[in-house]
Amino acid sequence: MKERGTPMARIRASKVLWFMGIILMILVVLVPIFIMFKYAISDRSSVVTGGMPIPLWPYHPTMEQFRGLMSMDAFVRSALTSMKVALLAVMISLVMGTPAAYALVRYRFPGIMVLATLLISVRLFPDIVSVVPIVEIFTKLGLVNTVWGVAMAHALLSTPYVIFIAMGVFETIPKDLDEQAQILGASRFYSFTRIILPVALPGLAAAAIYVFLLSWDEFIFAYFLLAFGGLSTLPVMLQKVLSWTPQHNLLAAISVLLSVPVVIFTFVVQRYMQTGAVAGAVK
Amino acid sequence: MTRIRHLAKTNLFGIVILAPAALYLLGFLLIILFKVLELAFTRVSPQGPLFPTAHHFVALSRNPEFRQAFVRTVWFTLIGTPLELIVGLVAALLLVQAFKGRGVIRSLMILPLTIPTIVTAIMLYIMFDFPGGHVNDILMGRHAFFPFQVMSHPVDWRGSGFFALMVSLFGKVWRDMPISMLIILAGLQAIGQDQYEAARTLGASASQRFLRITLPLLTPAMSTVLVLRSVEVWKEFIFPFILAGSYPLLATLIERAYHEWRNPNEASAIALILLALIIVSTILVFHVLKWLRKRLVKV
Repeated sequence: MKERGTPMARIRASKVLWFMGIILMILVVLVPIFIMFKYAISDRSSVVTGGMPIPLWPYHPTMEQFRGLMSMDAFVRSALTSMKVALLAVMISLVMGTPAAYALVRYRFPGIMVLATLLISVRLFPDIVSVVPIVEIFTKLGLVNTVWGVAMAHALLSTPYVIFIAMGVFETIPKDLDEQAQILGASRFYSFTRIILPVALPGLAAAAIYVFLLSWDEFIFAYFLLAFGGLSTLPVMLQKVLSWTPQHNLLAAISVLLSVPVVIFTFVVQRYMQTGAVAGAVK
Repeated sequence: MTRIRHLAKTNLFGIVILAPAALYLLGFLLIILFKVLELAFTRVSPQGPLFPTAHHFVALSRNPEFRQAFVRTVWFTLIGTPLELIVGLVAALLLVQAFKGRGVIRSLMILPLTIPTIVTAIMLYIMFDFPGGHVNDILMGRHAFFPFQVMSHPVDWRGSGFFALMVSLFGKVWRDMPISMLIILAGLQAIGQDQYEAARTLGASASQRFLRITLPLLTPAMSTVLVLRSVEVWKEFIFPFILAGSYPLLATLIERAYHEWRNPNEASAIALILLALIIVSTILVFHVLKWLRKRLVKV
């Protein structure tokens, strides 16, 4: 009996340990996110407490921070700028990346695999190293403090991802499809734009969302390109607001509005994101 | 000649549609490399620019601020990279077995990846505020649910180099945990159950199974995490920029050199040093892991 009891107890102990581990992990993940929402709906008296500990739940939950932001000129303008930059970055990187990915999948001329690897690994080049030369070059081209400048910098980061994701999409489309179209007399251009692209559209939409989020979140290039101008994207605005030492509930409210679209869209494309993040990593 | 012409002819459409992206990416990469080298090795003086010169590297090596940033960055990476791996490994091990609600918890675990980095940094900024942040309040036992007074005075987290960088590191690891977790989880799930069954029938204990089966078979996934994460930790910018402003790492020192010292040349020299560190460390990690894997497979 004793010999059977010990392993049973050990199994129970490991179960308890596992359960505690899961709970601890969930707590660590959720606490900063909870704090963000809590502060965003805090009223003034729950933030400026005059030495009393800050309550774990606001005394008077309120939406006034969000209402304030909606009528705050700087916030609305930054949100619009963020949107413009992100859409432009999506456009640039999809227009360049999608055809390139198609060529990399369908054509087999010498050196093309090296080129594919090279193009995708451009992303590995550290952004903080390239940011000073980029700003110096963009200053000469008049692209500093412009929506186009930030979007072009973001396209530099996102095009390798688009190529990577789109290559995966095109690989799932059978080669017969292009060949049959060409036998029926379609030009290569026609078969690519009218037959292959529509089939690839759902996968490409995932790539587009991914690029949008990348640009929406991006701080380093946006900060260096917009640091001294009137223009801000939302992450840059958040940093600029931080330097005014504002009340924490204002910071949190901006943070919520910055995060919510990302969280929602990420879960929409989660399946694509996960295969994207993991595919090719383990081999 | 005819072969090349033939190749070009049959692949013309492919070359044409590949060109814009290739030119954009590789063109910019070349321009960036050229520019960073040019800036780092040029000295601007009233007598006109001097090129090439190692002036900025010599000046930096004598600059205490650079030296401190260098040492901090090395420590930051030496602690941060293994931490990223360990946290990812623990998370993956907790989630690898099937249980009720695993899908939901896995989705929850991915949340940190979806929160913009700058937002995470700001949240830590708020939580570790001085003197009245949540962390200080809790550690001083000012809340009813945790009535233990760990410290009697609030800590100025951002005012101490050690704490500021530890908080930055916490943010970095918190944010990256899902990536490491997903890669290791994929590696864990690729290990066949029959190997464990066989080991169990032969009487292997749980720790033996973990050390002799799981760990060796997981080395490819763990190497991926280590290589990718070490690059990320070396060049970490946002967390130390927001949370450790007075204690720059090399990445944040680039910003300071560019904006505060108004010296793009020195900033580029720092960037070049950081790039060299990243390349050398990646090669090093890669070779060490290769050697390690060979040893582990032999056993």
